[in-house]
Amino acid sequence: MHNPFRTYHPAVAFSYLACAIVFSMAIMQPVYAALSLAGAVACSCVTRGVRKTLRTLGGVAVLACIAAAANVVFVAAGSTELLRVGARAFYLESLVYGVCSGCMLASVLLWFSSYAACMGSDASMALFGNVAPTVTLMVSQVLHLVPQFVARGRTIVASQDAVTSAEARTKRDAASDRLRAISVLAGWGMEDGLVRGDAMRARGYGCGMRRTTYKRYRIRRADAAVFAAVFALAIANVPCAWFAVSGFSFYPALEGFAPLWAYAPYVLLMAVAPALALKEWWQWR
Amino acid sequence: MAIVDVCGFSFAYPGDGADRDAARVLRDVTLSVEEGSFCVLTGPTGCGKTTLLRSLKPELAPVGERAGHVDVLGIPLVIDGGTADSMAPRDSAALIGYVMQDPDAQIVCDTVWHEIAFGLENIGMSQDAMRRRIAEVAHFLGIEPWMRANTETLSGGQKQLVNLAGVLALRPRLLLLDEPTAQLDPNARRLFLMALERVNRELGITVIMATHAPEDVERMATQRVEMGPIGEPGKRADVERALLTRWGSRRALLNGSQPVPAIEAQEVFFRYERTAPWVLRGVDVRVRQGSVHAFVGGNGCGKSTLLKVLSGIAKSQRGRLDNALRASQAMLPQDPKTLFVCDSVAEELDEWRQRCGYAKADEAKMLERFGLAAHAAQHPYDLSGGQQQKLAFAKLLLTGARLLLLDEPTKGLDAQACADAVRIVRGLADEGRTVALVTHDLDFAYACADEVSMLFDGEIACTQPTGDFFAENLVYRPNEESRLFGALL
Repeated sequence: MHNPFRTYHPAVAFSYLACAIVFSMAIMQPVYAALSLAGAVACSCVTRGVRKTLRTLGGVAVLACIAAAANVVFVAAGSTELLRVGARAFYLESLVYGVCSGCMLASVLLWFSSYAACMGSDASMALFGNVAPTVTLMVSQVLHLVPQFVARGRTIVASQDAVTSAEARTKRDAASDRLRAISVLAGWGMEDGLVRGDAMRARGYGCGMRRTTYKRYRIRRADAAVFAAVFALAIANVPCAWFAVSGFSFYPALEGFAPLWAYAPYVLLMAVAPALALKEWWQWR
Repeated sequence: MAIVDVCGFSFAYPGDGADRDAARVLRDVTLSVEEGSFCVLTGPTGCGKTTLLRSLKPELAPVGERAGHVDVLGIPLVIDGGTADSMAPRDSAALIGYVMQDPDAQIVCDTVWHEIAFGLENIGMSQDAMRRRIAEVAHFLGIEPWMRANTETLSGGQKQLVNLAGVLALRPRLLLLDEPTAQLDPNARRLFLMALERVNRELGITVIMATHAPEDVERMATQRVEMGPIGEPGKRADVERALLTRWGSRRALLNGSQPVPAIEAQEVFFRYERTAPWVLRGVDVRVRQGSVHAFVGGNGCGKSTLLKVLSGIAKSQRGRLDNALRASQAMLPQDPKTLFVCDSVAEELDEWRQRCGYAKADEAKMLERFGLAAHAAQHPYDLSGGQQQKLAFAKLLLTGARLLLLDEPTKGLDAQACADAVRIVRGLADEGRTVALVTHDLDFAYACADEVSMLFDGEIACTQPTGDFFAENLVYRPNEESRLFGALL
């Protein structure tokens, strides 16, 4: 599936995912945990695709189960006894708490994988580049040079291995050959650095003008609209979440669930990513 | 008015000062280039083309002893041997564009659009102006389809076009290019030069380009400056007469059945990753012992990959490959720098002495044979691309390998060096060594190979003795006339 955030400014994806991650981590309440997990799964499905989401979910489910089981085993608190082994009792309340923390863990991991899918180097730089133009350039160079460095290392080792007529005959030779590859790599890199430095100066780097940063993305009306919606829902959710959490207790018994309206802002916030995808699907149905 | 005016300019790099006169790279150069012209500087490797071009660009001007005058864009850069800082750095950056030889090393940023924007960012241009410049230049050079691509994924030719675009976005009046096509294959070379011609004709930008293959640009050049002799072209027919005797004498070897061929590949399949498309799909080929076998073919047909598979550094996924000389092989990689690890040319040749058991005297002989004796004390990276290629070749020959695998051995070589390469390769075959080489240079393949295979779509389309192979081709033929043939005669 096409990532719906791709058509928006990176700030939109960033603000949405940042809010979702913070709320998922901060609010420990069964309904919220369930909503977070549902939202994280939905968002991952629309940004990364169903198959990848299922694969991640498979791994995450194991972790979540371990977290839930551990809580039941180690925390003997609650009022509804599920079963008793000898003198040890296992309670429903501690199971619910464990499942909630498992859900929280799973949803946070899924949000982060969506974040990685939406915020590539390009997007991150567009967002944070203006804060530090020099850092932007540096990051851009690192992103360019690191893969090049790795690929070159492989090439050097391969071209060394291809010369069997000068093959290492002793163990010491073999060890020095590996070191040799590193010094070839370093020499090559430094030589390239000189040429690159010339190429940079030739195009006016350090010519005394104040550097500007080319902005790949511009904030448009649609970006602002989605951004505003996310912002409003997040603000509205703060008192609601506080209300829901402060009235709720896991132990000794599960009680103090907030009325349904208190969950409305969070439900809507979780629905933003699927809604964007749905809008696109509707246009192209 | 002349945009570049060089008068009696001499230059020497700072050195030991023993013989200042002999150390001069440039001696009394006088050159005048009119605005809007396409000037080609020709000359053999090491004749000072790069030094002259760099002297015209203040940021890159080499440090050393100079004499004479240099005026660029009507502003004096060198007066009576002294440098004048009369050009504003911003003007010099924007108005004088410079493109170098190595497509990779010039790339600074990770994406194409950022790379093109780089120069504009440096001179502090506003967003809207940048947007317009980038759009214009991308459109002009036809690089819109890969604007968002990662620069690392581009081919050499595409990288060089991006380098040109990055310079053009600054709207220069003068464009200096130092052998910009030396590392490109013929197809990419043609595309780059076509773009350059349009830059000159349609945008009226003055071009000064150094090259050792002036035949490529003859059509578009309005002015040609010879900085050294580059040899006269020779006719293929004349070379063929000499070749006929060799082809005749080699026929017995090629027709006779050898008990053990050097390399035999049967239905070899290869791909780089499980999900990647096949690069080789069923290659059948036999390289005979003591022969020179050339592989030719278009871009991306898998020539270099085939060589890697034959050498054993890439393992085929299907098929059978026998390499009788695997224990004594040497491979010249696409980039000779992967073989250099020492601080001087002489040490480089000495690196494997103990391991391979050759003598000091052999090294001296090799330096002589490759014309590197004068550069023995130099750092390998200070050599030109062609000289590096020669050094890598010399280093491999010293190992005494019975099988030599050469990937584009003539890349960056001028006609004279190319002719030397032909003689060296033939000498190896006469000693009974086997050579398998991959090349774009059909003239070279024609002059030095015993057998030629054409690779197409991951398969060997045909393998024939050189004479028959080229006689039956319509498109894949050597030039009727070339400088290499001239150098061979």
